[in-house]
Amino acid sequence: MIALLLDQLLIALGMGILGAVIFAGIGLISGSDETTTLAPLTLLVVLLGVPAAGVLTFFLAGAVAKHMTHAVPTALLGIPGDTMATPLMREANFLRNLGVPHIALRKMISGAVIAALIAVPMAVLFAVMLAPFGDMIKHAAPWVFLLAAVAIAWFSKGRLAAVLTLIPFVMVIVGLQSLTAQYGVKLSVSYFLGIAIGPLIAALFSLLAPAERAAMRRQELRTFSLSPDVKSWGGFFPNPLRVLDSKQSLWTAVTAIVSSATFVFSPVAMTVIMGEAVGSRVKHVYHRLTTVITARNGVTESTYLAEALIPLIAFGLPLSPVAAGPAAPLFNAPPRFSVDTATGQVNNLHSMLSTWEFLGYGMLAVVVAILIAYPFTMNYAHRAASYVSRKISHEAVIATFVGLILVIGIWEGGLLGLLVIVTIGLLGGFLSRFLGFNIGVQFMGYYTAVLTVPALVALLGA
Amino acid sequence: MKPELFEVWGDTVEGRHLVYSIAIGATVSLGAFFTAQQLLVGWVESLQMARAYAMLVGIVGCLAGGAISAALFKPKRNVVEHLADPAWRAKILVELENEFGPLGSLADLPAATIAELREMDLYDLFADYEKGLNAPPPNPDVSPAVVVRAASVNGGRS
Repeated sequence: MIALLLDQLLIALGMGILGAVIFAGIGLISGSDETTTLAPLTLLVVLLGVPAAGVLTFFLAGAVAKHMTHAVPTALLGIPGDTMATPLMREANFLRNLGVPHIALRKMISGAVIAALIAVPMAVLFAVMLAPFGDMIKHAAPWVFLLAAVAIAWFSKGRLAAVLTLIPFVMVIVGLQSLTAQYGVKLSVSYFLGIAIGPLIAALFSLLAPAERAAMRRQELRTFSLSPDVKSWGGFFPNPLRVLDSKQSLWTAVTAIVSSATFVFSPVAMTVIMGEAVGSRVKHVYHRLTTVITARNGVTESTYLAEALIPLIAFGLPLSPVAAGPAAPLFNAPPRFSVDTATGQVNNLHSMLSTWEFLGYGMLAVVVAILIAYPFTMNYAHRAASYVSRKISHEAVIATFVGLILVIGIWEGGLLGLLVIVTIGLLGGFLSRFLGFNIGVQFMGYYTAVLTVPALVALLGA
Repeated sequence: MKPELFEVWGDTVEGRHLVYSIAIGATVSLGAFFTAQQLLVGWVESLQMARAYAMLVGIVGCLAGGAISAALFKPKRNVVEHLADPAWRAKILVELENEFGPLGSLADLPAATIAELREMDLYDLFADYEKGLNAPPPNPDVSPAVVVRAASVNGGRS
């Protein structure tokens, strides 16, 4: 018994370290979206048969580490590290222009440490409070997803356009599903990847159209100004509570708790809203910039952790934007994990781990990620940013993602899988660019097609 | 031939290099995937696992394709290292005011933040700015920057 537990612990620790190291590296590459990177790699870990505890620590440690190292390109190069870093750009740029990018960096990752440590117990607490309603929600799942899809669409940039666009988008997915079903092919990852990587597919197609191509042409290289290295703290592992002042620690903690509870909202929106709420309460502009950037980066951690953990612990259904996107393989990864909405039968981490295990392994993952990513970012940020911007060409990044599209598509459904990725990616990419029908809304559209449409058909048929 | 630069997916690429990179990425990743699948299907007991391992090899192939492209084609970026010009900082304050409204007073700040500002050599900048505000200039549009700069030369402190 003890030996078995120790075995589990070692696997969880090992997978946590692996996730933290891989995603600390990926976080340094600007524009490496969370969904595009976390979802396929977590899926791989699931399908390779890693025990449940290891799957959980891999995902959580990866997410926490990525949202620390994403501060490096954001603060030092002035380009967002990933999707969650975009709401931090304004503050980061002002601090960079004031000549103190290292302050922005230190505050951001210290906020991340505090928020991540708070978010896990909070998420478990909220999940326990919600669990009694679990059965009710599972039975109403198709309608809950429909409501969530409409709400997330309404709060996206596209507003009413995004809500209405849900209808044709869902139609396309239903159509593609019945097409592949004729050949006995059932796809899910291909849809996720198509949605997540849509902007790249849309950009590559645009490059082939003469008019768009002319608009994308550039006369000269893009110039990045990398801030010089300033190390003004002692030791290898500075205390985050000393990097922040008491007010900043307090606001980070408060926003981490609030954003852990609001798990159904878009994480980017929560990051923006929490930042505004804090900013309006700090009078002096310098203090406001540093406090807002601290709290905002804390929220990037707490929303991710809570949005993955709460639905996982309480329902086993992917009922949040993070659960529907980057954390999707924790819920649904056929043949190993599955969600059957018709019967409410759930077979995934929800049924494999107890609440205490979620808390324990969750904290383990966060601590591992902090021990790896925090000192790394504090001490090597400048060298890492310099290496990535000077050595890794954008062509190479695109080549990697094109390879990923081909391998995942053909692995899941042969030629049909590949065609689905390209179709959904092209459509989603353009809808996102022109109508503000963003990736989060598209994921909800996918779930509406898979869950709500069959329920609706059954209801109308009866 | 003059290189053709394009902005794709948030950064600059060179047209021909992009085509070569995509070809390399596709060949290496799919080559790795299909080779692994051929070899593993007969070797690993479960077909499901064989395909999962083949996907893993395929993903390693993606990274290898990316690494080859990175080695062959240099980034199309100009990376310059520079410290923000102190004279320029004063202009940032004007931008900050346009963005957020009044900058607030140093008297409201906790001691820790004052110490942080002094350490970063930003204290005088904000202090001078406040002094400039107390004697309102005739033309509010352009003057704050000028006032601050003039005051910083004297090293004035409130």
